Amino acid sequence: MSENYVHPEVLVTTAWVDEHRGDTRNLRIVESDEDVLLYNSGHIPEAVKIDWINDLNDPLVRDYIDVERFAELCERSGISPETTVVFYGDKSNWWACYAFWVFKLFGHPKCVIMDGGRKKWLAEARPTSTQTPVYPRARYAAPRKDESIRAFREDALRHSRALMPLVDVRSVPEFVGERTHMPEYPQEGVLRGGHIPGARNVPWARAANDDGTFKSRADLERIYLQEQKLRPEDDVIVYCRIGERSSHTWFVLTYLLGFAHVRNYDGSWTEWGNSVRLPIERKTTQPELAPA
Amino acid sequence: MSCESLNEIIATFQGADPELRLELLLDYAKSLPGLPARLREAGTLAAARVPECQTPVFLFVEAEGDKVRLCAEVAEEAPTVRGFVSILVRAFDGARLADLAEAPADLLQQLKLDHVIRMTREVGLSAILYRLKREAARLGGVASAAQTA
Repeated sequence: MSENYVHPEVLVTTAWVDEHRGDTRNLRIVESDEDVLLYNSGHIPEAVKIDWINDLNDPLVRDYIDVERFAELCERSGISPETTVVFYGDKSNWWACYAFWVFKLFGHPKCVIMDGGRKKWLAEARPTSTQTPVYPRARYAAPRKDESIRAFREDALRHSRALMPLVDVRSVPEFVGERTHMPEYPQEGVLRGGHIPGARNVPWARAANDDGTFKSRADLERIYLQEQKLRPEDDVIVYCRIGERSSHTWFVLTYLLGFAHVRNYDGSWTEWGNSVRLPIERKTTQPELAPA
Repeated sequence: MSCESLNEIIATFQGADPELRLELLLDYAKSLPGLPARLREAGTLAAARVPECQTPVFLFVEAEGDKVRLCAEVAEEAPTVRGFVSILVRAFDGARLADLAEAPADLLQQLKLDHVIRMTREVGLSAILYRLKREAARLGGVASAAQTA
């Protein structure tokens, strides 16, 4: 089934991966999940694990890794600049999109996502293994970091004030700041609930099918272009709570719908809702976009 | 019923190499007992209140005299959390309330899992342990107050 996405080459099917997974010289399959041990419970046999916390986050400062760590990560995973990296994972490929986004931060040319992720692979009873493959070390000359796909707090604030498109991809209760009394979740506890003023709520799940695959271009356009009145030339900032669900929407807008200027505000609500004097909104009416 | 003592579990983890420790944690994840029927609905409701990108963890702590009854439900797709909670259930379900209240706060470090479970995850698991300890201490206080009444 061919999909007429604007950049169809960044999505591969489970069947394609199954057919090509043995080509470990040119392909590196990467599993990224929320839980660091989900990979260990069974993965595509040729896949390596890249963990969002242990491998992609800086250990000291709240930030992504630097160029040296990225190069080292690639080298020990047997990834060179010519390697096609195939990302997949749990949660409809949230974390696969997150890892894909980080690799794009460092300009890695050939990145693709396996549509449907872990869930689809397992549902189709494709082979898995609990053995961790070892690949010959690669060479990865220090890449450059290009943060044009990344938004910071100041960018989101500017967007909010100028009524430029801010897309909050969290669930509705999170968006409206519904208080949940969950004392056992202080790890991502936020002092205030609500959303960035002027942000529109388009929950990430609207872009995915139940089987974890991305919706069709027609369905996506119905949501983002017709319903939300976003345009592919818009300067869009997406965010969620810690930046992984918004990576999913960043991917959808950029690669499936061909938006040219989408940035992921990775600080997201855990930064905004904990920050002194950043404005917060709780109402749910759809904001009007500033005229082009 | 006997529960594996926490010290025995810690000894097993400390005696294992890093790879085996992860396998042990996965084994514990697989062996977490299901919730009794009377708690299943409450578990589902609690899970529904959790923000999308946090692992739903449902803990049920009850006093039976000076003993604690402990059961839990954790999503299968979160084997790290499920494994850690399973260790706590194995060690403390049926144990003395005071033992749970005094469980070591640095349990993750003692299990030598802190090299893999870092930052946000470490905070999350510590929070689960802390909540259980606090609940056990509270129930223990209630129990002793009832005895002196």
